[in-house]
This record gives sequence, structure tokens and C-alpha cells, in this order.
Amino acid sequence: MRSILAATLIASCAFAASVAAQQVPFDMSGERAQQPGASPSPASPPPAVPQSGQPLAPQPGPQASPQPSSPQPPAAPAALPAPQPAAAAAGPRFYVVPSDRLNLAGEYATRDWTIYLTPEQAEAAAKLNFGYRNSIYVAPEASNLSVYVNDTLIGQVPVQSPGGVADRSFEIPYGLMRPGTNKIGFSATQRHRTDCTVQSTYELWSDVLPERTFLEFDAAKMTAAPTLDDIRAVGVDEKGQTRFNIVVPKLEQSATTTPLLRLSQALGMLATMPNQVFEFSTALPSKAASGELTVVVGTAAELEGILPRLPDGARSGGIAAFMENPATQAPVLVLTGPSWEAVESVVENILAPVNRPENSTRSALATQRWTGMNTPLLTGSSRLPFSALGLKSAEFSGRRFRTGFYVGIPSDFYGDAYGEARILLDAAYSRDVLPGSHIDVYVNGSIASTVPITRAGGDVLRHLPIRFTMRHFRPGANLIEIEAVLQTRADEVCVPGTTASNEPRFALFDTSEFRVGDFARIAQLPNLGAVAGTGFPYGRGGETVDLIVDRIDNQTLSATATLLSQLAVMAGRPVATVPKASAAATGDGNAIFVGPISQIPPVALAQAHLSEDTAKIWGTSAQSASPDANADMLDAWRQKTSSNAWQKPFMAVSDWLDRNFDISLGSLRFRPGDEAMFVPPDTANLVVAQGIGPSGGGAWLVLTAPTPEKLQAGAATLVRNANWELLSGSLTLLGVGDKPMETRPVTRVSFLPTQPFSIWNYRLIAANWLSTNILSYAVLLACLSVLLGLVTFSLLGRFGKRR
Amino acid sequence: MNRIGTVAIWAVVTFCVIALIALPINLQTQLIASITIVALMAVIKILKGEGIWRLIALALGTAVVLRYVYWRSTSTLPPLSQLENFIPGFLLYLAEMYSVGMLALSLFVVSMPLAPRAERSGQLKTFPKVDVFVPSYNEDEALLANTLAAAKAMDYPADKLQVWLLDDGSTEQKRNSSKVLEAQAALARHDTLRQLCDDLGVHYLTRARNEHAKAGNLNNGLAHSDGELVAVFDADHAPARDFLRETVGYFDDDPRLFLVQTPHFFLNPDPLERNLRTFEKMPSENEMFYGIIQRGLDKWNAAFFCGSAAVLSRRALKDTAGFSGVSITEDCETAIALHSLGWNSVYVDKPLIAGLQPATFASFIGQRSRWAQGMIQILRFRFPLFKRGLSIPQRLCYMSSTLFWFFPFPRTMFLIAPLFYLFFDLQIFTASGGEFLGYTLAYMLVNMMMQNYLYGTFRWPWISELYEYVQSVHLLPAVVSVILNPRKPTFKVTAKDESVLVSRLSEISRPFFVIFGVLFVALLVSVYRFYAEPYKADVTLVVGGWNLLNLIIAGCALGVVSERGEKSASRRVRVSRRCDFVTDGRSFPATIENVSANGARVQVYGIDRQTIGLDMDAAIRFLPYGGDEPEELPVQVRNVEGHGDLTAIGCRFTPCVARHHSLVADLIFANSNQWSDFQLARRGNPGILFGTLWFLRVALYQTSRGLVYLARSMKPKAAAAETGAVREATR
Repeated sequence: MRSILAATLIASCAFAASVAAQQVPFDMSGERAQQPGASPSPASPPPAVPQSGQPLAPQPGPQASPQPSSPQPPAAPAALPAPQPAAAAAGPRFYVVPSDRLNLAGEYATRDWTIYLTPEQAEAAAKLNFGYRNSIYVAPEASNLSVYVNDTLIGQVPVQSPGGVADRSFEIPYGLMRPGTNKIGFSATQRHRTDCTVQSTYELWSDVLPERTFLEFDAAKMTAAPTLDDIRAVGVDEKGQTRFNIVVPKLEQSATTTPLLRLSQALGMLATMPNQVFEFSTALPSKAASGELTVVVGTAAELEGILPRLPDGARSGGIAAFMENPATQAPVLVLTGPSWEAVESVVENILAPVNRPENSTRSALATQRWTGMNTPLLTGSSRLPFSALGLKSAEFSGRRFRTGFYVGIPSDFYGDAYGEARILLDAAYSRDVLPGSHIDVYVNGSIASTVPITRAGGDVLRHLPIRFTMRHFRPGANLIEIEAVLQTRADEVCVPGTTASNEPRFALFDTSEFRVGDFARIAQLPNLGAVAGTGFPYGRGGETVDLIVDRIDNQTLSATATLLSQLAVMAGRPVATVPKASAAATGDGNAIFVGPISQIPPVALAQAHLSEDTAKIWGTSAQSASPDANADMLDAWRQKTSSNAWQKPFMAVSDWLDRNFDISLGSLRFRPGDEAMFVPPDTANLVVAQGIGPSGGGAWLVLTAPTPEKLQAGAATLVRNANWELLSGSLTLLGVGDKPMETRPVTRVSFLPTQPFSIWNYRLIAANWLSTNILSYAVLLACLSVLLGLVTFSLLGRFGKRR
Repeated sequence: MNRIGTVAIWAVVTFCVIALIALPINLQTQLIASITIVALMAVIKILKGEGIWRLIALALGTAVVLRYVYWRSTSTLPPLSQLENFIPGFLLYLAEMYSVGMLALSLFVVSMPLAPRAERSGQLKTFPKVDVFVPSYNEDEALLANTLAAAKAMDYPADKLQVWLLDDGSTEQKRNSSKVLEAQAALARHDTLRQLCDDLGVHYLTRARNEHAKAGNLNNGLAHSDGELVAVFDADHAPARDFLRETVGYFDDDPRLFLVQTPHFFLNPDPLERNLRTFEKMPSENEMFYGIIQRGLDKWNAAFFCGSAAVLSRRALKDTAGFSGVSITEDCETAIALHSLGWNSVYVDKPLIAGLQPATFASFIGQRSRWAQGMIQILRFRFPLFKRGLSIPQRLCYMSSTLFWFFPFPRTMFLIAPLFYLFFDLQIFTASGGEFLGYTLAYMLVNMMMQNYLYGTFRWPWISELYEYVQSVHLLPAVVSVILNPRKPTFKVTAKDESVLVSRLSEISRPFFVIFGVLFVALLVSVYRFYAEPYKADVTLVVGGWNLLNLIIAGCALGVVSERGEKSASRRVRVSRRCDFVTDGRSFPATIENVSANGARVQVYGIDRQTIGLDMDAAIRFLPYGGDEPEELPVQVRNVEGHGDLTAIGCRFTPCVARHHSLVADLIFANSNQWSDFQLARRGNPGILFGTLWFLRVALYQTSRGLVYLARSMKPKAAAAETGAVREATR
């Protein structure tokens, strides 16, 4: 057996055409000197790039000419995937669900996402296995679960597993999976067994279990050695997580921090998975698992003790190559060279294809691994048909239809207070649909608009405008959902079998449009929402970010790498960090502080409005009960006493005012009060906080936890997609439980212009600012009107007849 | 005093205000801003801010109105893809924008009206020769006698004052008419009037043909006279003694002056005032025009000629070859022509004539149709905005005056707009309940406050809407016809000497009942839909409320078209004047309580009631304003009542000679101060709240009265018998 499973010429892989001269140091003069230099590995993740030039791929043209007759190695394992023992040939299971939960709720639900397959995997993909269970209320005869690969239905089963998990397996037609990006879709149509109410549709759900949902490969075809392409195909584990183990024998040297962090970001951006965790260690892992990639980094000398054999040429030049982990037989990526400089240049070469030039703007956010397609980024006035947003025309025969799409909003979006987006809806409803039905729009789960259906007898809606507030928009990808709640006479009567009817009641056409006008664009600080959405401001091109990590240990470095990689994925470009020894050394620029609370400089705590005492108290159980207990009690008593009949109409009016105008005394102030210093409660395991540097410039991001262990675990939890999306305000706590995230809103905002000066933009900024500071507008308008009155008085006094 | 600087500063401030208003702020901000501004305006209003405060309040109101316009234009129009909604929706939008535009123009006109001018009757030094023209077409002799007598009695050197009766009712054309009845009537009229003129010492003038109606008649007068100045009085407009003294002096001040216009004061109520019984307590409709709009126009040197009660310069009229007669409102047309030639006008805000206005609803509508059609003809033929020679303010002023008459369109649109939703379920105005509150309600409130600020003492809340509605029903076809056929309308003389003796429905009242019925059904529909369709209850509530408002106004209009019968044919004017009551050669001290063109009521002291019989001849002796000696006016006793030493005697004038007409005129018309006092007595601003409550009460009562009249007209036989009883009941 060859000890070197794979070795790839990084330079040729990355940008052979442009920097061919650099081939020399990485030249892999061993077995594969003859391989042509031109081997374009996809720099960005377009799915259908043919991988014809892959040096080690056994199938050069996967779709064009499958080669079933190509000679197979003899050691072909059994056809069924062998689960636990990490059999060398079959490898671990290839889990596909990028989340720890895949829930299909309601009468109609779809989930799409993409996976990345190497040419070899695409060729070998044989079956998609999945396990599911469902609610007892789902009527099996009227409900089914469909699975799509690349928009092709590969199988459909009735939803009939309320008792326990049922496993199903669908053949994947040969050639359907393509090298590169492939789309997986689960779609459930579910009907209630007995109930015809809209309410009952909330009892319908199916759970597809990520730990039982995986691709099965034809092991006979899985013989080729891994290539760098395998980084993208890293996949997920049974909980939807992606893990990079970075093994650095000499971790303590501070000079290595920067290349290691850049490496993490490069790996993260290549994979672009939703839940990516980085873990640093000094020794090779003893177990291999799915969704995991081990990377060994160090000079050739450092690695000698760890690896039985180094890649050829490691002592003469920087090299990246796949080797075999002697303990697990799993492939590990080895980055080495004669010196750290050589290693660094290898890292830079891995990073280069995913880096984005300083002034190039993105038109889409890389979210396809968990949303099914990259999210178009709207930087101003735009109109997008639903078909371009991944939505398809659909007919629906139930009572609650819900579907959605993602749109991306830039980090400097400042239209939450006044902005309005529109959906021009092309839809139809049948004559069975009664007035009183309605179509709702949800933004990120919050209701944004309701349009009642008022006309009986059916109608075809052509570009019916639905205006909805942009209040719930946030930087990054935003989920916009359309829900049609349909009432019919038949549902009111609800004879048996009504729910199984296939008579369509509602249709949504993909010619509908999403429209948004120009919105105000100016960045606000602090704003963790922008950090989460697009890594702003740390991912801006051309700016370096000071990184203050007081003591470099495994946990802290892991947390740092996890955070930076997440920021890089969101920003679409690596964060250019500059290590700084102390807070005092940071200038006006942006800075990131990572460390256990005891190691965060006090000035950083102060700027992030974390109390000085935090370092002493947090995590020591010395804290008292929540100060809000009184308010809660008062609320509870109000609830108890408000049953007076006389109060009802007044309560209704007050509720209506509240619902329609959302005006509270808090919104009627001129300037915000000072932000109080905050001590995180003991339940919090992690705090992310942002503040403005003491010099007034620069955004300081603090990631801290009571202990290094909690820091590492917390960072891993934080970057899980479901949590990361909730990051907002000036400070977010990560605790435990169902809703682990808790946010403190920003009280004092400072603005950072991001756009070239334009009157139009400033007008919109003013509109949003005044819509936020309500009273200011009233006062300004009144004052200007008074001034106008005075000036008009003097004007009229000078013209016309006088006496 | 740097005008350009002021304009520049004003422009900058205006730009800032508009920039602020055109920000797409959210609903909460709008709501708070509206509340703030309404509160500020209310404070200014309560503190009775005038002068500079008035403009501040108006500027505040303008801000809210413009916010509404911005919002209405940017987010409430139905999508173009739904034509069935878009077309009515856009028409409604146009109607609203017209209203806003008219508000803007009227703000320009009246935001700082000229203060009333000081009296100057005593200061007159030169006495240019004045020709007084009284054009007549079909008015009866007694009316003309009073007017001519009053004109003749004006305080002015007799040799400088020539009064002309310009009789168009007995032209040669009429006298030689092929219709024998018409010809005979014209001949008789010719003779009587000629005799009357001889008796009164007035020139009688008629012409060959009735060409160019009133303008032609006046031009004929110009051709036969040579006075420097020309005063024009309608046949029923009798001037007070000080008319010329108050007006002629302005021609000395300004050699380029062509017009001094004075208000028209009416002795009798218009049908609305009469049927709603508001004449004594509420300012008349025309007081808004003469009390404030003409003053506003005067500031911009755009006060225009209103056909009567004005003095004009012959020199100026020569520039335009007399009065223009393209339109049927020759007065305004002449004024535009002269303004555009650089002549100036002056408006004197003091009632110096007293006249009559149409008593029946039908003739009221007839008069308004003429005005509307005439003004639209002016707009069509003399488009003031581009009329060369006019200053920019003058152009705006004339646009305001002429465009006003398009009001039947928006009024109709506002009337039917709710029905689109209630009956056909069309969404012609896309807004939520909250937006209605934050924008529309604020706009309506501010609009009312601004109207109240501008016209408060002259026009009570909702009365403008009522007047516009009652006119719109019949004016809309008239306006449409003049737009389609601008040269068709002809001059029709408005009958002003009619009277309603028996309570009845107006002959043109039917559409009002039909509209009321439709709106009432719409009300029922809105109630039904409110309960049956709870998912859009808020929209139904708003639209239903709007319809209810229309219904209230339409109900009130039912009262307007239900003509109340009146005992006395002509209106009595309250006077208080010492006199002697002479009967059988004995005279008793007495006071004249009130007078009308036909008779008077006197309080006599110490007379024996037994000696007075009905139809007994007597006389009233008093000292006329224009004379040195007391003179006697023969009367006939009509009724007697009283107790103690005071006896109230109602008597009818029995004028035998022309001098008696002069005495009657002296009693009624000589003292102009009594009219000002009367006007002042009913001026008062009830405020929006009380005004609205009062209007609601009136509307409710008038609705029921209209329906009672309708029920009675359905069974005409029974009605005849019950007339008296019902009349009592309805009082």
C-alpha cells in the first residue's frame, strides 16, 4: 500500500494559470510529476464545474463517460455501510443534514440544502438513507414525504411512522449526483387524520433524523485517494456539525497563531458549512468520525514525531498533502515545509482561491449549504421574481400553506424603522375559499403583514402588492415566508375524508416578485447583528483587525479559530488579524478579544459595557436573583386583575394602539440613557459583546466565558447556525436550555458611513433615524413649521398691498 | 427691506420643510408628529393668536397636510394591475389633490388679508362726476323705485350725480316682439318706468336690441353718459347714503384705479338660511367671500368686480371698450381685462348697499349655475394663469376664484367614493385602519382647524360642505355642460323677488331624496358588513363612518330643499327711528321698529286703540337723512295690538308720488351702519367642537323635516288641508 495516499500540488490546484512560477517550491516530484499543471479546482462553489482535471480522480468525466469497467482494486468492502469500525475503504457514513434537527411542520413543508461531493463520491453515490418519525395526527393515506436530489424526485413514502423511527432508503439514479454541489430536498405534504381546522395543522410534523440520514456509496468505486477537493466535501456529522481538528505539535509558539488562524479561515471558507468547529490539539486524534477533517500543521521537523512518514519534499519546500492517520487509517491533511515561512505560504495558497479582492462586492451570500441556494444580496432597489429566489409555483389543497425564501441584506442596512418591502403576489384561490382567509408575510419568523382575502368566489391575484415592514430584517440572510390561511365551507362541516381532498384551493406562482426600494445604508456600532450577518466590520477589505488573545492555549485558540472562521464565512473573505499583546497596543482600528473572562483586559470589558466585577463574580455562583422579578410579579398581578368588564373596551383600544403603532414611552425620548454596566448571570456560558474603542473609532468585539473550557464549548455552540442567526444587539449571552440566546439591545448607537456620500442615502438615513427617534421628528417638524410661519409672515409683509 | 433676500430665505426654509416632510418615516412617527402639531395648533387657537401666530398655525397645518399628500401619493393608490380599483381610486385621488390645491391657493389668498380700511366719508374733497347705472331686465316697479330713490338720495352734489335706469326689459326688440303678450308687457313696462324715472328725476334709457345681456346694457349706458366714474347697482341693490363718499375718494389716491368694490349685503336669507333658520344667528354664505376673500384678493391687487355695488373708472373702461361680454360673468371678466392692462382695484370692506338674494332653492341654484358657468368660461377663454399683464399673485388669485367652481366634481367623488367599497367591494384607497388614524384623520382634523382659522368667524364648521353639496347636485351637470360647450350658456337673470308662501318641497328636490336613500342603504350595508365580515371590520368602520358623514350632510340638505312658507313677502329690517304717527290730522309720538320694502311696524305712544280701524289711512312723519324738514309717508293700517300706552301698529306703505319711494328708501337703506351692526351681531366662531355638535343637531332635525315634507307631498290632497297644522308642527 502506498503510504502517501494523496499529495497535491497546491499551486497548480489553486491558481495554476496565474502564478505558475510558484510551482517550484511545491513541486511534487514524486509519482505524479507527469500530471498536467492545469487542474482548476473550483475556487467558489458553483456546482457544475467539471472536475475533469483532478489529478487523482479516477473518473475524469463523470457525467459524460462513466467507466463501470475500469479496474477496481480488490479490497472492496461489503455493500452495506459499516457503521462504527472506521473501515479504511468504505470510510465513515456520509451524513447529509447540516443541522441537528430537520423538522417538516404543517401541511406543506420543504427543506433544501446542498452538499458537496467529490467526483469520486458523485460517481459512487448509490442510495440515500433516511430515518423519520411523525406526529400521530398525520393521516398516512393523505400525507407523503418526498425526497429530491438536484430537483429530481428520487422517492416518495407515505408519512406513516408515528410509533418510532422508520428508515427508508432510496436509490439514487446513476448520474444524478454530480461532482461538486448537489441539492438535496425533503418535502412533506401532511394532512390531519380527523380535524379540519387551521389550528390542527400545527399538530402535523415529521422529523427527519440527521443521524439516520446519509448517503451510501458504492464502495467499489471509492478507491481513489483524497485530494484537496475533499476539504470542500468534508460533510457533517450525525448532528450536522463539521469539525476541523488541527493538530499542531508546537502550539505554544505565538508566531504560529496567525497562520493557524488563517488556515482555519481558509478551511472554513472552503467548506462553508453552517456549523463549523475548530479544535486545536498537539496530537493526532485516535478516532475518526464523519464530518471531520484532521489537519496536521508544522515544520517537517516538528511533524516527525507525529507522522510515521512525511510527504516527499517536505524538507525542501512547503507542501500540502493527504496522508494516512496511522491510528485510524483515515486521511489527514498535512501542511508542512522546512520552516514556518514555508508552512505559511502553503496556508496562503490554500486561502488564495477563497479570498475576495478588497473592493469587489458580493452579489450573493454563501448560504447554499443550508438554504439550498446562495442568497442574493440586495444592496439597494431591486426586484426579484420568486423563481430567482428558489421558489416554485405550487398548488395547494389544504388549509395552511407556508413557503419561504431567503434574501440577503448588507450589514449597513439602516431601514428597520421606516423601510418597507413589497411582495407582488401572483396567486389564485378557488371559489371554495371563504372571505376571512388571509395571506400573511413573515420575516425571520415575525409577522410583518396580513392581507385578508375579502372576495368570495375565487380570484386570480395578479401582482397584488403586499407591503410589509422591514423592521425584522437584519444583516445577512433573511427568511421571508408567505403563509396562506384558507377557510372553506367544507372545512367547517368537516365530513370524514375532507382533509384528504386533493382539490386545489390555492396556487402560488413563481412569477410573483419580491421588491425592495433603496434603503438607508450606514453602519451602526455596536451591532452584533451585522457581525453575525456579514462579519461586519471585521471582514471589510483593506482593514486589519487587532486580535488580542492573552494566553494561547488549545481552548482559547480553538474558540478564536471557530469565531474567526465563522466571521470569514459570513464576510466572504478572511479576517486580516494582527496579533497584539495588549489592549493598549491597539489603535483606532477594530479589535477582537477572545479569552476567558479573567484574561480580557479591563478596558475591553468597559468598552463592551461589561462590569469590572464580571471577572471576579461570573461563574462563581455569587450572584443574586434577577432584578426583574418585581416586574414579572407585577405583570402577573395585572393579568389577574384585568378581568373587570368595564376595562375591556379600554384595554381593547390600548391593545389596538399597541398592535398598530407600537408606541411606548420608551420610544418617546430624545437621547438614550447611559448604558448600564452589565454582569452576566451565572447561567450564561458565553458572552459576545461589542463596544466602541476608547478612542471613539473601531469596533471592539469581546468573546469571553468564565473558563477556557466553556469558551471553547460556547464558541462551538455559538456558531451553530440556529444560534448564530440570533446574534444581535450590543451583547448576547449564550446560556443553556431551549432558547439559549439572550440579547441586550443597543442603547447608544454610533454611525459609521460605509457608502460614498449621496443626498439620497442621507435622506433615507434621516428617515430611519427620525423614525427611531420619534419625538425628534415631531419637534423638528414643529420648529421648522414655526420658522416657515415666521418667514412667510415677513415675506407677506413685504409683498402685496400694505397698510 | 431686501425682497430678494426674503424670498431666498423663504425658499430655503420651504425647501427644508418639504425635505423633512418628504421623508418616508414610519407610522408611529407620523402619529406622534400629527398629535404634536394638532396640539400646538389648538393651543394657538385657544390663545386666539393673530397676526404672526396666525401664519405659524397655518404653517403647522400645512405641514400635516403635506405629510398627507406625500403619503397619499406614495402609498395609497391601488395598483395599476387592478384597473377596477385604480380608476375610481385615482379619481378620488385627483379630487383630494384638487381640494389640497384649492387649500393652497386660498392660503395664498387669505393668509394675510388686508385690514379693513378706515372710513373716509368725511374726507372727500373733489367730487368727480358720477353716473349711476341701475340695469334692469324684469324687476318690478316698486323694487326699482326703491333702488332708484336710494341711489338718487346718495350724499353727493346733485349736479355731479346722474342716475340711469338701464331698462333691458322694454327694448325695441321686446316691444316689437311677434308675441303679442310679450310686446304688450314691454310697452306697459316702458311707460310706467319712464314715468317713474321722470318722477324721481332719473334718466331712463333703453336700447334697440338685447345684445350681450348685462354687459351690453351697461355699455349702452356708457355710450349715453359722460361721468368720470360709473357706479353700478343691480336693480335690487339699494345703496346707502354714504356709498359714494366712502368710495369715490380712492380714485383721487390712485390715478390707475379702475374699481372700488363694496360687499353685497342681503336683507333676506338665502334658501339655506331661511329653511335652516340660521339667518339671524349665523354669518351668511357670502360673508366669507366679502368678509375675507376679497380682502385677501385686495392685498394682491386682485379684488374683482362683482357686478354691482362698485364704482368704476370710465377712463379704464375705455381701455377695454366697455364691459366684456364673452362670458356670462361679465363682471369678473372685465376685472381680469383691466388688471391685465395694469389697472388697480380696491375693496372696501363695509356694506354700503343692501339687496335681495334668491329666495327659492331653484332660483338660488339658477344663480349659482350662472356664476359657475361664467367662471369656467373665464377659465376657458381668459386662462388667468397665462394671462399676459397680470402679476403672478393676481394670476394665482384669479385661478383660485375660477378653479373654485370645479368643486362639484370632488364633492361628487367624496359622496360616491365610500359606495365603491360598500356596494361593490372595491378597494380604491389602500390603507390600514392605523394609517387612516395617523394620516387621514389628522389631515381632516388639521384641515378643519385651518378652515376654522382662516374663516372661523365667517363660516361655521360643515356649512361649506353643506353649501357645496346642495349646489353640487345640480351644478355638476351645469359645469359639465359648460366644459363640453363653453359658448352655449346664456345670461339668465336671477329672480330675487320670489317668495314662498306655503311650505313645500322645492321643485328640484327629488335628487336629494334619491341620494339620501342610497346613502341610507349604504349605511345599512356598512352595519351589516361590520358584523358579517369581522376580518375587515376596521376598513368597514372607516368607510362606513365616511358614508355616515355624507349621510348627515345629505340629510341636512333635505331640510334645505324643503321650503318653509313665510307669512310676509318681504323681509323686515330692524331699525329704531323716531317719528310721528299721523292720523286724522293728529300726530302721536312713535318709534319705527322695523321696515320692509312694503311696510313698517311702529310703536305709537298714547293713541286710543279704538280709533284705529283696519285699512285706515294714516301717515308716518319723520326726518329723512338727506333732508332738513320732516316729511310724511302715507300708510295703511294692517294690524293693531298692544297694551297700556304703547300700541304696535303694522302698516303698509301706500306711496303715491315718487318722493314717497325716496322716503321708503330712506327708512330702509339710508343708514349703512345698521347693516354692519347686523352682520357683526351674527359673526362669532362657535369653534370646531361646538360647531360640529350644533351642525349635528341641525342635520338631525332637518332630516326629519325633509322626510315629513316628502311624506306630505306624497298625498297631496290631505296635505292641502293640513298645511296649516303641519306648519305649526314644524316650527
